[in-house]
Amino acid sequence: MSRADQTRGQLDGGHHRGGRSAAPVLDAVSVRDERTDRFVELSAFLTGYGRVELTGTGLTGLYLQTLDAVLPAGVVDELLDAHRRLPAGANGAANAGRDVAGGALILDDPKLGPVARNVILLWYCGTWTALSEAWRAAYGSSPLDASRVVSAEAYQGALQWAAAGAHPAGARQQGFGAWSLTPEGVSG
Amino acid sequence: MTAEHMTAEHMTAEHMTAEHNGDRTYDVVVVGAGVAGALIAKRLTHAGFQVLVLEAGPSTAWTFDGYTEHLDEFYTAASKGPESAWPPAGNAPQPDTADVRSGGGYFVQRGPNKYGSSYTRLLGGSTLHWLGVCLRMLPEDFELRSRYGVGRDWPLGYDELEPYYREAEWEIGVSADVAEQEHLGIRFSGGYDYPMRRVPPSYSDQVLGAAVDGMEVTLGGEPFALKVRNYPAGRNSIPRGDYQPVGAVDERGDGQALAADLGQRCAGNTACTPICPIQAKYNAQKTLAQADRGNLRVIDKAVVSKILVDPVSGVVTGVEYQRYQDPGSPRHTRHTARARGYVLAAHAVENAKLMLASGLGGANAALGAGLMDHPALYAWGLSPSSVGAFRGPLSTAGIDDLRGGSFRGAHAAFRFDIGNDGWRATTGAPDTTVAAAVTGQGLFGASLRGHLEATLPRQVRFSVAVEQLWSSANRVTIDPRYIDPLGNPRPVINYHIDDYTLAGMAAATDVYKQMFSRAGIEDATDSGNSGWFPSAGYNGRVFHYHGMGHFAGTHAMGISAADSVIDADQRSWAHPNLFLVGSGSFPTMGTSNPTLTLAALSLRTAEKMIKELGR
Repeated sequence: MSRADQTRGQLDGGHHRGGRSAAPVLDAVSVRDERTDRFVELSAFLTGYGRVELTGTGLTGLYLQTLDAVLPAGVVDELLDAHRRLPAGANGAANAGRDVAGGALILDDPKLGPVARNVILLWYCGTWTALSEAWRAAYGSSPLDASRVVSAEAYQGALQWAAAGAHPAGARQQGFGAWSLTPEGVSG
Repeated sequence: MTAEHMTAEHMTAEHMTAEHNGDRTYDVVVVGAGVAGALIAKRLTHAGFQVLVLEAGPSTAWTFDGYTEHLDEFYTAASKGPESAWPPAGNAPQPDTADVRSGGGYFVQRGPNKYGSSYTRLLGGSTLHWLGVCLRMLPEDFELRSRYGVGRDWPLGYDELEPYYREAEWEIGVSADVAEQEHLGIRFSGGYDYPMRRVPPSYSDQVLGAAVDGMEVTLGGEPFALKVRNYPAGRNSIPRGDYQPVGAVDERGDGQALAADLGQRCAGNTACTPICPIQAKYNAQKTLAQADRGNLRVIDKAVVSKILVDPVSGVVTGVEYQRYQDPGSPRHTRHTARARGYVLAAHAVENAKLMLASGLGGANAALGAGLMDHPALYAWGLSPSSVGAFRGPLSTAGIDDLRGGSFRGAHAAFRFDIGNDGWRATTGAPDTTVAAAVTGQGLFGASLRGHLEATLPRQVRFSVAVEQLWSSANRVTIDPRYIDPLGNPRPVINYHIDDYTLAGMAAATDVYKQMFSRAGIEDATDSGNSGWFPSAGYNGRVFHYHGMGHFAGTHAMGISAADSVIDADQRSWAHPNLFLVGSGSFPTMGTSNPTLTLAALSLRTAEKMIKELGR
């Protein structure tokens, strides 16, 4: 990491939202840029996976690029802003599995709700799902808004495989006989 | 001949010119580089005969780099069906299961039922995406008519085929334990065992075995005890004795084979269909690579369009083929290949199509008739606890106790495969499970994650392969109105699922429900996303079925020219130097996946040909 990157990271760390002051220096070093970091925070809120787990897929940049390319100008930032405006502690509550009133502000919003659900599918399945005709008529459309697997890497990094306690079909092989093993979390 | 002759990319103009000016006559021309053609080519070349193999499709999977591009096709395919890694070449079109939904595609389906299966026209054929199940047929499957008064008898029996089953199991590289397979009348010769130990059972197999083993059901008044059994698989496992598992094929122009160490054990990629990333699962390219290469010539992108026959003797004098370079352009050149003997190993449908297109349908209209499949049901549900779904070869075990019995006088036999891939095949899980939770239930965040972690590992799926009998009403024909880009006919399919099979589906449905109930599996069959499967009605019940890719019966063997196309050696009754091989030769299907049996028949035919050509 260059000195300039470090400096920017520290500055970004200063903008970081509350609740994480216990390790400000580490956070500062890990941050790439503020917008990406906010996207990861939003994604953690939507998917139930932690920021480290999400970043560990290596797909953050690809997904943010995909959203920027497919969605009408400004929509991604609107979503990021809506997430930032959620009541303090909303993330923690979502991670604890409680129904968060704050979530409804995004998920029930006619403009941002469908986009947020698509962000969830992006992370879990590695796919982009075309928005509805009604959404496109109301908020704008793009020729790139077509259902597809985003890339081979996205397919392999999709969270659904981890959620299943498995591995992406056709990749990250587990080795001979691994399929005989008792799954995690099963006793006996 | 060196390795470079194997791929079109390395074939020079000089070779082509000498070839097509008729400078060379072969001992045998084989049409089709799938498992049947490859086995025969391997045996004949090792016996010193000059063999030309003509493959309609390209040879894009012959180098491991090329194979890996097919893997990428799979990763990025929106639908992960059996064809998703193997897109068609325009000049050698192929059916796609998506066509069953859309009504379009290569097949012209005349009904009344939809024929649900597909195959692949590519060097390696449909073994590139087969599941790898290598069950032998039962002795009673060969004598269905005499034993139960239905279907047909074969002109040869299990005992005659047994030595060739053993050879086929070694050629393919089958993993299983004789001790587990010796039932239902299946006999193995003394001291024999499979070349590799059985593929370890999945955790799911173990859970279901604990619940189902010993359970009794009654069919036709006869009690049967069910048991979850590992089935023989063409997937590399731990070798017995000095057997060397055969890994990936990697043929490069410079003679290197960088990937050859890959795939000597199954590594649990959970993607046998549509593509095993490391080729631990058998495909016909492995056999072709083992041929005596000095005696072998393979030309890909060569579509055989006509069989030339002496009108008096019926002897085949040559085959015409169309050579293209660009699969997307119909531009091609025409050639003729000549030999002493000819083998059609192009697939049950393509063999029949080619004979009909050559005007060789014969007088008794048997050619193309008898098209069969295993019209199969899915049964799926949620186990009370994790079965570890989405891990391992797509299926490692099944329940096959109902493959034989006196009930076969009344209805079809059937067999259950236990899936290791959750509801992938039935609903498109895990993607559809995620989508249902997100857009259907409105879940997000930790509750979404928790829901998926609690649901996906519990997904159970059975495939129920149901027997179908030979019927002259089910057939492949051609019609000049329906042609492909090179002007060759497209297959026209008449297909009907009769009451014998439907009654088998009804019995199979009752049995799976008993098994689910005993195992505490919450039945989810036919809910949600299964609506696209074709359906067939029977006594007020509706069955959603799909094809298993088990095409058979279109040039069935028999005891005389009056009722069949070929004899027990797969030799055409009408054309003495022509052999039609593959599952098209089957007069009955039983409940076995056809590849092992068609491989055994091919090896038997190769032996007959070697004796005859040597004379």
